[in-house]
Amino acid sequence: MPSFIVPTNANLHAARSFIAGNNFFDERGDAVLRFHPKWAHVEPLALTMVAAWGAWCKRGGYSLRVENLGKHAAYAARMKLFQQLGVEFEPVKEHEESGRFLPVTQVRTQEDATAAIANISAMLHLQDDPDSLAAVQFCISELLRNVLEHANSPDGAFVAAHRFAEKGTHRVTIAVADCGQGIPSHLARAHPDAAGDDSIAIGLAMQPGVTGAQPTNYGTPDNAGAGLYITRSIAKGTGGYFPLYSGRAAYRLRRALSEDAMVQLFPDPYDDPRGDRWSFPSPWLGTVVSVEIRTETIAHYENFFQWIFEQMPNRKSAAGKIKFT
Amino acid sequence: MSNEIRIESGVNGFAENKDQAKQLRLSQILPAVSEGDQIVLDFYAVKYATQSFVHALIGEALQTYGERALDLMEFRHCSDAVRSVIELVVDYSLGGFAEKASA
Repeated sequence: MPSFIVPTNANLHAARSFIAGNNFFDERGDAVLRFHPKWAHVEPLALTMVAAWGAWCKRGGYSLRVENLGKHAAYAARMKLFQQLGVEFEPVKEHEESGRFLPVTQVRTQEDATAAIANISAMLHLQDDPDSLAAVQFCISELLRNVLEHANSPDGAFVAAHRFAEKGTHRVTIAVADCGQGIPSHLARAHPDAAGDDSIAIGLAMQPGVTGAQPTNYGTPDNAGAGLYITRSIAKGTGGYFPLYSGRAAYRLRRALSEDAMVQLFPDPYDDPRGDRWSFPSPWLGTVVSVEIRTETIAHYENFFQWIFEQMPNRKSAAGKIKFT
Repeated sequence: MSNEIRIESGVNGFAENKDQAKQLRLSQILPAVSEGDQIVLDFYAVKYATQSFVHALIGEALQTYGERALDLMEFRHCSDAVRSVIELVVDYSLGGFAEKASA
């Protein structure tokens, strides 16, 4: 049966075991969403996956059963997961409703995406930190456009974000999930070398200049093929996580261990020593991306682009001829 | 002849709507460049822009007409953030991204 098991830790750090413990799209029987009976630490990654999976179940005519709902699911409720699923659940309120998060939101159109981006500033309380806000807006915009343009997802995308600013690492975690065609299918036409190997496909998708339209490294008039690369670079440059899961393959950039490591950018993600490369027997029928932005490390947003610019091959750049007035 | 194009600010000065960028590219930028006309792209209302937005705006003109297109373009009132994105897009549009072997 299609099942989504939410363990005690469904977060970026424990992403591998969380994914490996699931068989999301088994087509036999009713769909089951099962929370751990005592504790569930979920982050936007898992929340958006559940929402996208729930929409897939609904589209497929599966009856959804939710097990072990209790006060430990209160965070998921605050993030409006159950509203997205059409499940009635009102946990007992134990603390203040105010928070710094964008709840799980379905995005089907550019107008939906623009509205989500417009809400981010107030919802994450980032009005006084314009550089962090710009980085967050950039990542959300790029990830949502990827779904709208390439995923062929009947349900669109599901996005959520949370700003963690009270203790420990100050960070914003963003996730976008869909149950569309997935990266391997999208890239297969232009990149036959990736056909049949999901790990190669998602590796290509994270490199600059790779699109599903043509096998060049210039992109097309509408797409440079750089959105995932720059998004990964923003996570890398702030020292945060960057996981990507599509088909049977997943990649996760781990947090940087030092400031020196944060500035080492690898065009091929598999060259990065902080990258994890995983294969799973059970596929994700679509794509899931999460970005962790460590806001305390951001000085100037524009530095990200100068840094990426510096990674380009040595050549006589035309950028010096640009007329800025 | 010179064409002045004011770029819309988007959400909170954040320009990210590629559909708008594409519309400007097809209706104003490409026709002007193909005629050899000067273009002024005025980013007065924009504080930040995505790389995808700027790519959708000028990438095709640069790839089709090369540095001749760049010679015809003037970028006005750019913030540091917008400027850094334009520099990146111009560079890869004219030179491509790094291949793995040369990275």
